Amino acid sequence: MSTTTAPVKARRSTTEKQQETPEWRKRLTSDSAARVAALLSFFLFWVLMSALFARVPGPVEVVQRLVDEFSRGEVFGNFGSTLYRFGVGVALATVVGIAVGVIMGLSQLGRAFFESPVLVGLSIPAIIWSFLTVMWFGFGDLSPIVTTFLTSVPFVIVNVAQGVRGVSRDLRDMSTTYKVPLSRRVKDLVLPAVTGYVAAGIRFAIIIGWNGVLLAEWFGGGGGVGYRARWWYDANRFGGFAAWVVLFVGFIVLLDRFVLDRVIQRAFRWRDASA
Amino acid sequence: MAVLTIKNLAKTFNVGTPRASRVLDDISFDVRGGTFVSIVGPSGCGKSTLLNIISGVEEHTSGDISLTSDSGGPARMGYVFQDPRLLPWRSVMKNMMYVQNDRSEATAGRCRKYLEMVGLTKNADFFPGQLSGGMQQRVGIARAFAVEPDLLLMDEPFSHLDAITARGLRAQLQDIWAQSKKTVVFVTHDVVEAVELSDRIIVLQPGGRIYEDITIDLPRPRRQTDPTVATLQAEVLGRLEAMKTLSRTPSSAAA
Ligand SMILES: Nc1ncnc2c1ncn2[C@@H]1O[C@H](COP(=O)(O)OP(=O)(O)O)[C@@H](O)[C@H]1O
Ligand SMILES: [Mg+2]
Repeated sequence: MSTTTAPVKARRSTTEKQQETPEWRKRLTSDSAARVAALLSFFLFWVLMSALFARVPGPVEVVQRLVDEFSRGEVFGNFGSTLYRFGVGVALATVVGIAVGVIMGLSQLGRAFFESPVLVGLSIPAIIWSFLTVMWFGFGDLSPIVTTFLTSVPFVIVNVAQGVRGVSRDLRDMSTTYKVPLSRRVKDLVLPAVTGYVAAGIRFAIIIGWNGVLLAEWFGGGGGVGYRARWWYDANRFGGFAAWVVLFVGFIVLLDRFVLDRVIQRAFRWRDASA
Repeated sequence: MAVLTIKNLAKTFNVGTPRASRVLDDISFDVRGGTFVSIVGPSGCGKSTLLNIISGVEEHTSGDISLTSDSGGPARMGYVFQDPRLLPWRSVMKNMMYVQNDRSEATAGRCRKYLEMVGLTKNADFFPGQLSGGMQQRVGIARAFAVEPDLLLMDEPFSHLDAITARGLRAQLQDIWAQSKKTVVFVTHDVVEAVELSDRIIVLQPGGRIYEDITIDLPRPRRQTDPTVATLQAEVLGRLEAMKTLSRTPSSAAA
């Protein structure tokens, strides 16, 4: 006697699932939808807060103030000097950070030497550096540059050192057996191996460093985004203050998304190429 | 003429510490130019250590080791490892060039020639991650031959590959070797593989001494399907059976 089994619904393949999911649903559950949702909720929260509290400037007011600042001709000069100081500080931190990081990663002695200073550096906040540098260097470009450098360089060092220590022992031995010259080893083995760590370090430098530049400008008197923000703050005009913060934070976010992200992706083509 | 001469070579790891362990005890042999010599022995008997000492990655504790080159300059070595050891962020061709002395067009041409010999001309611009394990190992082999080494070292280059791929690569290695006549020291734990490839087999025993030195006098090319090869493989395997009982006596390691 034959037993008839109830027809079992076969499990659906990924192709079937893909085809059966309606388009609107794919859109709504995509990554970009999540990003837009985050932006939107933040914006609504801002509007709500500004409606509830008189001392929170709303988006309209902030845009208004920004336009005013543009028409007064305050934006380009101040933004330009901040960018310059920030750029020089981060560039210095990158160069010095990679150099010290490579030494710490390659040599036991270097690590023993730099470990404690770097640890101390990591734990000193930007505000302390900004007080000190304004005291040391006064109101010029130097205080914000040095503050940016000092707040961000320990993060670059730590990241790069970790990357260098992780360079494959096998690949180093391979290079030794083939007597590959040191310069080529650094260029083709060490640097590509630490690219991810260098990128992470620079990202940290930028995200930590902008605190430094704004704070030093806040306490210094040499113009710049931080200086201008404080000017409005002291005048009790929070719209102007917020306008400058939005401008600079917006710039950092765009820089990260459209420049750093692209550069990092390009550097890791080899990884994406491997299936 | 001997390309490689090793005399009373010994290696102890962690000398002067409680963890000191003698891996190679008293190794002497030399390798004549143009021959294919295999070092065979059970896992952990010090084969890789011996190759690393020859290549200069590892220092020896006592004894003498000397290498001569045709040019009279420092001997050039090629090394094929158990795993491919390619730079994952460089293309196949750039990996080949990475270990070369110079970047001349002649050198690039030589790299392309060896890539062709292992059948990877079309893959020159691929990243290693885009190749199969067997193809990556072929790049490692081409790279080693392309430096035109005075001495070519190979450390179980096929042991991570499936049997079919390994067999194909062994045949390919025989062909390339027949054309280039490089001096090769080939490490393996596989006696069958050693008989197929070598002019001579040096058998290491646990404790780091040479157990036997066997000459393999078979015509080339050798194929595994050839009964005379199979017969000799069986015979050598039989001779090594005795080593197992020998290595079980506890005094042998100390002696
Ligand atoms: N760097 C090292 N330090 C201490 N012991 C080691 C080291 N490298 C290898 N050994 C030991 O030496 C022995 C031989 O290792 P190896 O040469 O890799 O053997 P094989 O290649 O024949 O399998 C093993 O017991 C291993 O544990
Ligand atoms: Mg080994």
